[in-house]
Amino acid sequence: MSKKKYSAAIKDVIAEEMRADSSVFVMGEDIGALGGVFGCTRGLQQEFGKERVRDTPIAEAGYVGTGIGAALTGMRPILDFMYLDFVYVAMDQLLNQAAKLRYMYGGRASLPLVIRGQQGIGRGNAGTHSQSVEAFFTHIPGFKVAMPSTASDAAGLLRTAIRDNNPVMFIEHKALYATSEEVPDDPEFAIPFGQAAVRRQGKDVTIIATSLMVGRALEAAEKLAAEGIEAEVIDPRTLLPLDLDTLLHSIEKTGRAVVVHEAHKNNGVGAEIASQIMESGFKYLDAPVVRLGAKPCTLPFSLVLENAVVPGVEDIHTAAKQVCYK
Amino acid sequence: MATKVIMPKQGLQMTEGTIISWLAAEGDTVKEGDPIFEMETDKLTIEIGAPAAGTLLKIVRGEGDVVPITETIAFIGEAGEDISDLLAELESSSESDETGETEPAEAIAESGAGGPSGPVAESSAPAATTEQAAGGSRATSDGPFYSSPRARWKAEERGLDVQALAGSGPEGMVIERDVLAAAENRPKATPLARIHAAESGTDLSSVEGTGPRGKIYRRDVDAAAAGTAAAGGAEGGRMFAAIPREDRSIPLTGMRRTISARMRESLDTAAQAVHRIEVDMSETVRMRERLKAAEVKVSYNDIILKAVAESLRTHPRMNSVLTEDAIIEHGRINIGVAVALDEGLIVPVLRDADLLTLQGIHSETRRLAELARTGGLSQEDYQGGTFSVSNLGMYDLDSFTAIINRPESGILAVGAIKEKPAAVDGELVIRPLCGLSLTYDHRIIDGAPAADFLRSIKTLLENPYLLL
Repeated sequence: MSKKKYSAAIKDVIAEEMRADSSVFVMGEDIGALGGVFGCTRGLQQEFGKERVRDTPIAEAGYVGTGIGAALTGMRPILDFMYLDFVYVAMDQLLNQAAKLRYMYGGRASLPLVIRGQQGIGRGNAGTHSQSVEAFFTHIPGFKVAMPSTASDAAGLLRTAIRDNNPVMFIEHKALYATSEEVPDDPEFAIPFGQAAVRRQGKDVTIIATSLMVGRALEAAEKLAAEGIEAEVIDPRTLLPLDLDTLLHSIEKTGRAVVVHEAHKNNGVGAEIASQIMESGFKYLDAPVVRLGAKPCTLPFSLVLENAVVPGVEDIHTAAKQVCYK
Repeated sequence: MATKVIMPKQGLQMTEGTIISWLAAEGDTVKEGDPIFEMETDKLTIEIGAPAAGTLLKIVRGEGDVVPITETIAFIGEAGEDISDLLAELESSSESDETGETEPAEAIAESGAGGPSGPVAESSAPAATTEQAAGGSRATSDGPFYSSPRARWKAEERGLDVQALAGSGPEGMVIERDVLAAAENRPKATPLARIHAAESGTDLSSVEGTGPRGKIYRRDVDAAAAGTAAAGGAEGGRMFAAIPREDRSIPLTGMRRTISARMRESLDTAAQAVHRIEVDMSETVRMRERLKAAEVKVSYNDIILKAVAESLRTHPRMNSVLTEDAIIEHGRINIGVAVALDEGLIVPVLRDADLLTLQGIHSETRRLAELARTGGLSQEDYQGGTFSVSNLGMYDLDSFTAIINRPESGILAVGAIKEKPAAVDGELVIRPLCGLSLTYDHRIIDGAPAADFLRSIKTLLENPYLLL
């Protein structure tokens, strides 16, 4: 085990996979000489050269299309997005091509493609650089969607993503890059998709949180514990596939659930998770499932306002008490 | 292997049934589907067929027994088959521990026989009158009943009637903690002990259990009940002690139990006030004779129903229900018509009575009354009443007071049409008079509008051609 930052854990896995498999390569903006705005590709060009660590023009649709072609013809590209907000520029390539090609080719084509980058609040980057994009990709069939909340999960899930033969949206968080934890050194360390992590055990309420919200949920759980409410905090880790079994198992015990994400609450992934809980675990519920998510407004520039828009520890704390009728 | 004959569930809300009579005797050979016993629930009387072909080996529950659904009442098998194991199992299951297979039976016993007899739960607005099952009792009286899915699940697991619990959630919703608290406080007893306790009116919490961890067995309940009776006898009845005059115990069957709960609930809830009026039926009698001559058959009751329907249309407040924060005036006029049965009464509903012609009312009430007497009413037929009429004229009553059929807000009691002296234009004449008595809920209808409604009926009956 080595203590690593979330960003370093990502860089190390990319490097290890590139050493192990010559078909793995990286494309993106400012990833070569600069090593990425957040350092996730730092030093890779020096080790692997400009052919395998390719700086692209500011033309997302172009390099996503290139990556799709490369994947179709046997390569395993990792497409780097400086900000995941920019995937909107490449949506036609992503939703109409990447998501559908295996289907269109009758299953005879595979598309081992990773689209990774960071999203969310934390830097006051304002409306077009702070969004959460996961709901678009969980809505259109054809993607797997991973959202690591810790350095170790980032490493384990990214290795699974690179080795997967389908397009994976790998969604990191800019405010998590500087967090660090012990990460296994094993170059085969991989976390299978569709396995949620129970971050904290509890018997009174289940808090389902993703990405940045996992930490906030754990903080809220501390406050709740002081008031005699034992919250179980679950991080799904991948939204597609979703580990519904772990969620239901927890809710069978607790009877109450709060789903919290940073993305907008309206029509968000939380709505899907809450619905699945109700469809499969209705009888377990002692209270309606509560969703927390960003308010329906554009993410503001001000750091203070950012946190007023997305759920905070106090919001989670209040919601958990609400479903416990306390 | 012998087949168990169980008390079948004959409706969503059925929790228990009464065995009225056995149509086959022990030792009889039966074919599958042959009627072997007749049973009664709060809603119907029905013959039940044999679940398998064979010999009726043993009847374990006799006529008059009130049996929770799914409990074994008899065995069918091959002639001479040894069923002592099954009988032993039956005996032990009724006295086994509270966990395991006995739970369902326990659940039924609790909801059916053991639940507190609070008022019956109301479903939203005008639906649901006499069909409410006996098990649907609950602790609070007004408004809709809510319980969380989890509370229902946990209650089922623990054999508790969720509707009998007081809710601590929003709007009185029963939530998990209410169920757990109730389960915690409940004395441990076998299903059979609960039935005996319910039948003898023994409070289980006052009974000392002789089973493991103080669990109450049937014998404990019976002993407690006998003790109470003995104590009462010693104090009060020395004079008559020598004369054997035994009380007759009539099991509180489904329909009686429902009526009992609903009548109490009605008086506990509505502010019932009564207006009386006497109607000169001369013109109505004349009109009916003329219709009869024209071979149109209608009864006085049909004409009264028509007059009530018309008056409800002009007095919508009489056709309303009180909810937590509003009075709902029903858009439709559905008049419940009380029908007496041998063992109780039922109130089938004349739907959209204001839209029916006199002949229409005639044929529909005939149909409903016939179905009511033969036990053939469907749920549709007795749900959704918005006002009721009870006619006991055939018993020669001058007039009487009826109790409101909740959640409705009024009921008209109709007495006999009798020739009586009446003063008309300063002269004493003999006229056919009929006493009407309106019970109304003063919470939402005041005296004057109620009187106006009654006067409207009187005007129509004294000028019945307005109804044609």
